[in-house]
Amino acid sequence: MLLIHRSPRAANAVHTVSPSGELFVAGVVIFMILASFADAIDPAVFGQAVPPEFSLFDFGDEFSVLGLCHWNLLQFVTAGSLLSGAVFVLRLGGSRACKVLRSASRRALSKVPI
Amino acid sequence: MESQLLSAASLSALLAIVLIDLVLAGDNALVIGLAARNLPRQAQRKVIFWGTFVAIAVRALMAILVVYILALPGFMLAGAIALVWIARKLLTPDPDAAGSQAAVVPAVSFAVALRTIVVADAIMGIDNVLGIGGVAAGSILLIVLGLAISVPIIVWGSHLVIRLVDRFPSIILLGGAVLAWTAYSMIVREPLLAPWLADHTAAKLVIAILAFSIALAPWYSARLSEDRKPLVVLLPALLVWLLGFEVAAGIWNIEMRYLRAAQTGEYLFQAARWLGWLPLAVAFLWLREQIVARRRTTARG
Repeated sequence: MLLIHRSPRAANAVHTVSPSGELFVAGVVIFMILASFADAIDPAVFGQAVPPEFSLFDFGDEFSVLGLCHWNLLQFVTAGSLLSGAVFVLRLGGSRACKVLRSASRRALSKVPI
Repeated sequence: MESQLLSAASLSALLAIVLIDLVLAGDNALVIGLAARNLPRQAQRKVIFWGTFVAIAVRALMAILVVYILALPGFMLAGAIALVWIARKLLTPDPDAAGSQAAVVPAVSFAVALRTIVVADAIMGIDNVLGIGGVAAGSILLIVLGLAISVPIIVWGSHLVIRLVDRFPSIILLGGAVLAWTAYSMIVREPLLAPWLADHTAAKLVIAILAFSIALAPWYSARLSEDRKPLVVLLPALLVWLLGFEVAAGIWNIEMRYLRAAQTGEYLFQAARWLGWLPLAVAFLWLREQIVARRRTTARG
């Protein structure tokens, strides 16, 4: 008797969700899992010095995978939307680039303006 | 108090509460309408007013109770497991959603109608209140604000909620993810597990992936091809297997770090931990194949 079940689209959200909406939620989930990864790393294991493999993640204290353990939902949602936006732009740019680079078919060769 | 409320953490908790309220809101208006439909017009108005009032009172009482119950050792873990199940149920597709009617028998008197509304609201509100209690982490202020947001949704906002989730079904997926994240943070906060998790920090990542893999299973299962569907069972089962060995090592005092294993027993333990799940996975896949083949034969016959 959930309210959302009055809407068939919402009740079948896993099928009716748009690709961009799905990408956004997937981004949020990825950041949530990364935050739990940061939570799972015990800083005491490494002492004061952070070894090189972890410093790769560390782009300063503010933007770091290790710093994700303090993130809240607002940050997850913002990061998820940024990530999905970036993927969307990359996909769009990539498809445009591929379209330009693709050679014309032999049949259409005579129609290619030179 | 004002600065505390305007902090990013509080605003974030409030956002999570609103989201949980949206996706887990019960259809109170429908229940009240169905319970009152066979009563005389005068009695109907009384039932609608008192039904709404009682629904709000029941929700407030349950929210206060949940705050105290979650403070007891063990209940945070139980609540987290329930939240994972709620998130999974939320995302499970329901093909006859709009067609299904609420199983509410029309009442013959004012008292019976009111009782029906109280019972229905209590049942519908458990998941909602549990989610809000988990997000609020004992903060009465957030619980009160959560109620202040959910009550207008109960009374006036149902059409708005339906239009919103109908336009953006991704809100449901986000709600499921937030419920899974809340469940994870509740497990990490559980007083009974805190000392063990402090010694086994890597287990936190396993628990988080386990919570997400169970709660979001209907979502990623819908994207998997038929021959890859067993992953929906195998992935959480493998994580439970690894967690089980982590717990067993703590109970029997066995060395868990494979590079430091020195005795034959410890080597056997490591072998069972990393390879022992393989025969079980093969047996599961074989059994599943048999069941699918039998179903196909029955369907043809």
